[in-house]
Amino acid sequence: MSPEFSEKIQKKIKEIVARYPQKEAAILPVLHVAQQEFGYISSEEEKQVAGILGVKPIRVREVVTFYTMLNREPVGKYHVQVCSNLSCSLLGAEKLIDYLKQKLGVEPGKTTKDKKFTLSLVECLGACEQAPCMMVNFEYYGNLDKKKIDKILDDLK
Amino acid sequence: MVKIFIDEKSFEVEDGITVFKAAKEAGIAIPHLCYHDAFPPEGSCRMCLVEIEGLPKLELACSTQVRDGMKVFTKSERVVEARKGVLEFLLAEHPLDCPICDKAGDCKLQDYYETYGLFESQFREVKEKREKKAKIGKNLIHDEERCIICKRCVRFLKEVTHTQELGIFERGIHTSVNIYELLPVDNNYSGNLAQICPVGAITDTDFRFKTRSWLLKKGKSICPLCSRGCNISIEYHPGFPHFQVPKKVFRIYSLENPDVNGFWICDLGRYGYSYIDENRLDRIMIKKEEQKIEPTWEQSLQFIAEKIKGLNFLKKTSQIALVLNTWLSNEELFLIHKIFKSDLNVESIFFADRPQSEGDDILLTPERSPNRRGAQEMGLSIQPVKLETLATKTRLLLVFGSSIQDQFSSSDIKKVLDKIETKILFASHSNDLISFFDIVLPTALIAEKGGSLTNVEGRIQKFSPVFEPSGDSLPEWMMLADLGREFGINPSFYEQLKTPEAISIETEKEIPFFREKK
Ligand code: SF4
Ligand code: SF4
Ligand code: FES
Ligand code: FES
Repeated sequence: MSPEFSEKIQKKIKEIVARYPQKEAAILPVLHVAQQEFGYISSEEEKQVAGILGVKPIRVREVVTFYTMLNREPVGKYHVQVCSNLSCSLLGAEKLIDYLKQKLGVEPGKTTKDKKFTLSLVECLGACEQAPCMMVNFEYYGNLDKKKIDKILDDLK
Repeated sequence: MVKIFIDEKSFEVEDGITVFKAAKEAGIAIPHLCYHDAFPPEGSCRMCLVEIEGLPKLELACSTQVRDGMKVFTKSERVVEARKGVLEFLLAEHPLDCPICDKAGDCKLQDYYETYGLFESQFREVKEKREKKAKIGKNLIHDEERCIICKRCVRFLKEVTHTQELGIFERGIHTSVNIYELLPVDNNYSGNLAQICPVGAITDTDFRFKTRSWLLKKGKSICPLCSRGCNISIEYHPGFPHFQVPKKVFRIYSLENPDVNGFWICDLGRYGYSYIDENRLDRIMIKKEEQKIEPTWEQSLQFIAEKIKGLNFLKKTSQIALVLNTWLSNEELFLIHKIFKSDLNVESIFFADRPQSEGDDILLTPERSPNRRGAQEMGLSIQPVKLETLATKTRLLLVFGSSIQDQFSSSDIKKVLDKIETKILFASHSNDLISFFDIVLPTALIAEKGGSLTNVEGRIQKFSPVFEPSGDSLPEWMMLADLGREFGINPSFYEQLKTPEAISIETEKEIPFFREKK
C-alpha cells in the first residue's frame, strides 16, 4: 500500500516548496508535514516526498536518517525522546535511560506492546540548561530525576 | 589582483580565489582531504586549517577567500598543533589497516599522519566494528571503517554523473556512505570513485589485493579506446615479465586535462587495458612459401619494398591496396599518405575499425578508436572495406590492424585473400587472420610508441612510450619510414624521419590543419 498525500497536504507542500530557491532545501519541512500526516516516514513515504519534490529518494533518506525527530517506524501514542548527549550525560542521563528502559520494559528504539510508549535516545535537545532532559511528543521536561519521570509518565494516559 | 602574505612572503593573486588556491599557486601545499579541484569547497575534513592574522580562530584554507593585505600562516605553531588534533580525531575510529589497504602508498591520510601527525593516540576506547566490504557497485567495495566522510564520492555522483547512487546516512559515529536500497553505483564513470576517495574507503575489485602501489611505475599516455583522447596514467610493474608478476599493467588512472577530460575517465578506458598484456603478437611470422626470407625486420621490410618497387616499375601501383585503421597515429597516417598516395598514387585505401558503439554526454564518444579525426584531416577518406573490390585487381595487400574480422567472417576473408598474390598484416595481437597472410609483422601499441593523435574535437595530443614494445614489435611509423627509404622514390626524405617529432614537422609543413593546430 503506497500512501497518498491528500489534496490539502499537497497544497501545503506546494506552498512550502515555493519558499525555497532549491527543491532540496524543502525536504525537511515537507518531511515534517508528511510525518504529521502519516506518523512516520518509511521508504514508501520517502519516495512520495521525493516524487513530489522531484529529487532522488536517496536525498530524502539522507535527511530522514540524520534527524532523530523523524520517525522511521510507527511510534506509540507518546514518543519519549531522552537526550544522551554531553551535558545530560554529565548530569546522569545514563542512569535515567536505564530507569526508563526498565520502567517501560523496552529497549531504545522500541515501542511498548500496548503501543502507548516509544523510547528513543536522541542527541542534544538544545536544552542543556535543564539537563538532564527529555521530550515527550512536543513537550520538554527538564531537570529530571527518577521521581519526576514517574510523575510525567503516570500523568500520561 | 590583491596582495597577500603567505608565511611572510608576499604574493599577487587574483581577487576572490581561496587561500588554498593562492597557496597552491605560490607552491605552498596545504594538507586537504575533502577538497578536490573538481568541486566547490565542502569544508568537512578540517585538515586545511590555517592561521589568518586578526582572526581569532583558525580558518579553512579551502573555503576562505583572499583579501587584500591578508596575512596567512600555514606553518605556525597553532596550525601545526591543529593539524595534529584534526588527524587524531580522524584516526580515532580509523581501523589503521594500512598493511592490507590498497590505498596505502597513495593515501592522503597516511601521508598526512607521517608528515603532520606522529602522535600517540589518546583514544583508549575500543573502535567501532563496521562493514568492511560492502559491494556498492560492479567494481567497487566500500569500507565503512576507513571512510572519513569527506563526501567526494557523493559529490562526484551528484555533480558529474548526476546519477546520485551514494548518500550519507545517519549521524555521529553511525554516519555512513551507502547506496540506496541496494541500487548499486552503476554508470560509465564509477571507477573514478576509487581514484578520488582520499583514503582506502572505496577500493576497486579490479586492483584490490593484486599488488602494492609503490611497486608500480607510472607513465603518462592517452586512452585509445574512443576518440575523446583522455589523458591517462598507465601504472605498470617494471619487473614484468617475472614469475611473481602475473601481468604488466595493473591500473589506469585519469590525469587532469581541463581541455580534454577534466579530471575523469570512463570505465571503458579505466578497465579496458588487458589488451596491452594479453594475446600479443610478439614475433614476425613468415608463411612457408616465403621461407626464402628470414623472419627479421630487415628482410621482411625489404621483401615488401621489392614488391612495391616491382609494381611501380610496371606502372601497376593500382594493384596495391591498403586497409588502414584509426588507431594509427597522425605521424603514421602521414607517412602512409605520403608513400602510398603522393609517391605511388595508390587509390584502393580502405579503413577497418572496431564498430561504433554507444557514447554518452560526458566523455565517451561512439567511436572506438582514437584518431578518426586525424585520418580525416590528413585527407584520407574513411571508406569501409569492400571485399569484392579487394579481390578483383589487387596483387599486393597491406592490412594494418585486425578489425576486418569484426566486419566479415574469417571464411569470407580467407576466400578473398586466397586470390591475392601477396598479403601483409601489421598487427599487435594474435588472431584467426594470421594464417591467411604471407608476412605478419608485430606492431607496438600507443603505450609503447611515440606520436600524436587528433581527438574528436580536433585537438592534437602528443604521447610518448610508457614502456618498451612487447617482444619484437615495432611502431608502425618506424616500419613505414623504413619502407619509404627502401622502395626508393625519395629515399633522402624518409632517411631523416628517425623520430615521431621529425615526422610531425613534415606533417605540419605539408598539411595545413596540423600547421594551424600546432
Ligand atoms: S568513501 Fe571515500 S570519498 Fe566517499 S566519503 Fe568516504 S572517504 Fe570520502
Ligand atoms: S572517454 Fe574515451 S578516451 Fe576517455 S577514457 Fe573513456 S574510452 Fe578512453
Ligand atoms: S546535552 Fe542534553 S540537551 Fe544538550
Ligand atoms: S580541505 Fe578544507 S575542510 Fe577539508
